[in-house]
Amino acid sequence: MEQEFSKSEKFWMNFKLYQLWRFIVLNLKVYTVAVQSKRR
Amino acid sequence: MSKVVVIGAGFSGHTAALYLGTKLGRKHDVTVISNRDVFGYVPSWVWVGIGHMKPEKTIFKLKPIYNKKHVKFVHAAAKEIHPDAGDQYVIGEEIGTGKEVRLDYDYLVIAPGPLLNFAGTPGLGPENGFTHSICSLPHALKARDAYLALCDRMAKGEQVKIVIGTGHPGATCQGAAFEYIVNVHKDLVKRGLRDKADILWLSNEPALGDLGVNGVQIKRNGHMLVSEEFIRSVFKDHGIRYQVQTGVTKVEEGKIHWQNYEGEEGTTDFDFAMLIPQFKGQPFKYIGKDGSDISSKLVNPAGFVLVDGKYGLTYPELAQTPEAWPAKYNNPSYPNVYSAGIAFAPPGPISKPFTNKNNLVIAPAPPRTGMVSGMVGRVVAMNIIDAVEGREPSHSERMTEMVAACVASMGDSLWDGNAVTIVMRPVVPDRKKYTNEYGRDLFVSHLEMGLSGAWMKYMLHYTFIWKFKANPGWTLIPE
Repeated sequence: MEQEFSKSEKFWMNFKLYQLWRFIVLNLKVYTVAVQSKRR
Repeated sequence: MSKVVVIGAGFSGHTAALYLGTKLGRKHDVTVISNRDVFGYVPSWVWVGIGHMKPEKTIFKLKPIYNKKHVKFVHAAAKEIHPDAGDQYVIGEEIGTGKEVRLDYDYLVIAPGPLLNFAGTPGLGPENGFTHSICSLPHALKARDAYLALCDRMAKGEQVKIVIGTGHPGATCQGAAFEYIVNVHKDLVKRGLRDKADILWLSNEPALGDLGVNGVQIKRNGHMLVSEEFIRSVFKDHGIRYQVQTGVTKVEEGKIHWQNYEGEEGTTDFDFAMLIPQFKGQPFKYIGKDGSDISSKLVNPAGFVLVDGKYGLTYPELAQTPEAWPAKYNNPSYPNVYSAGIAFAPPGPISKPFTNKNNLVIAPAPPRTGMVSGMVGRVVAMNIIDAVEGREPSHSERMTEMVAACVASMGDSLWDGNAVTIVMRPVVPDRKKYTNEYGRDLFVSHLEMGLSGAWMKYMLHYTFIWKFKANPGWTLIPE
């Protein structure tokens, strides 16, 4: 990774539609890994 | 009827109490003793500390929740623990009246959270020192007031120096300090005051982005990305200077004294500093049947409760021994005494410790975040439920097995805020199971920055407060 975020990276970090997609994906990811703990 | 006493009502103690109350509360006696009568949602105090969230949004009264779950609540500060068989009880001092209370138990959970050891660094802290903290709600409010006063000075044209990080060579919780420094930066940008502040990250981490967990490593598009590069990019982007491998040794008004890995001693000037103190265990008295001090059987010299971990290993040995980390969190001498959250003694650091030529040990202590504390609280509760119901305690989860998700706020706006979402498996590297150099599952581990993280952080705030209020469906929300 470069020392600073590129313009493109910054654009995607705040592009609402893409971030909505990431929000869904991240929620699924976090939930999936977190519930694994419940099985122990 | 069994008697279960839980000391503390933070992430771990409260989680344990909710599970215990749900499963045992109707038939058995479950009691929580806490010196605070409210639950505090600690992760949002970073926003309280800059005036972006009202404090009342981060707390709620415990008693109504416990009434609903058949848990008794005693608003008192625990003072003594008498764990010897036949006469096992906790002595506390009731808040407000100072009256002594005695709670007999068959099973005890020690989960009172940390003692914020400001005294470990002369001049540190908001009460008897010159720095601030966001480790308690009153501290976060003091930090907020001081920060807003600083903003007023900047608005009048004054140039200021802000230092945020760790205030002791063995401090932990670098993640909270990281959130605070980035939120301060974002807030100053919004106020149009960023050019008036020189902001410095001052930390005991061996490397930037270590966060007390030996860093976070992920594989993205076939390339390795480590948190050191990531945080460096964030700091460069935000114009935040940084100094790691540094242990703060003393604070005077406007001046921080430190030593680094090379053994150099130096000072850093500041107008506003938020430095996380060293954490220690609560100074309870552990008293045997004959009235003797039996602390050495229950706690280590720092006051953390000894549990079923393997203590005394060197760092290289510990790094290769994942099974040295506690699994069931009960004390070997008193198996009916459990500990959860910050209170249990980890077998050693996760990050590589360093001793400089002046014999100063600079080593971040292992962080036990809300998720880890909640998970341990649940494991402990489940094992006690097993024991009370006549089964062998069967639940275990070592930090070398645990997954942790963490959302580090970097600006709270829902429109243009930002946060880093971190997923780590396991929290403590397991170099036997994961044979890569990091000892982690690089497929599951994740690090991502964006507006979605800011939404996640808000969502987690409301979701967890819902859970901790034991509202419908609370058990479906993972710790």
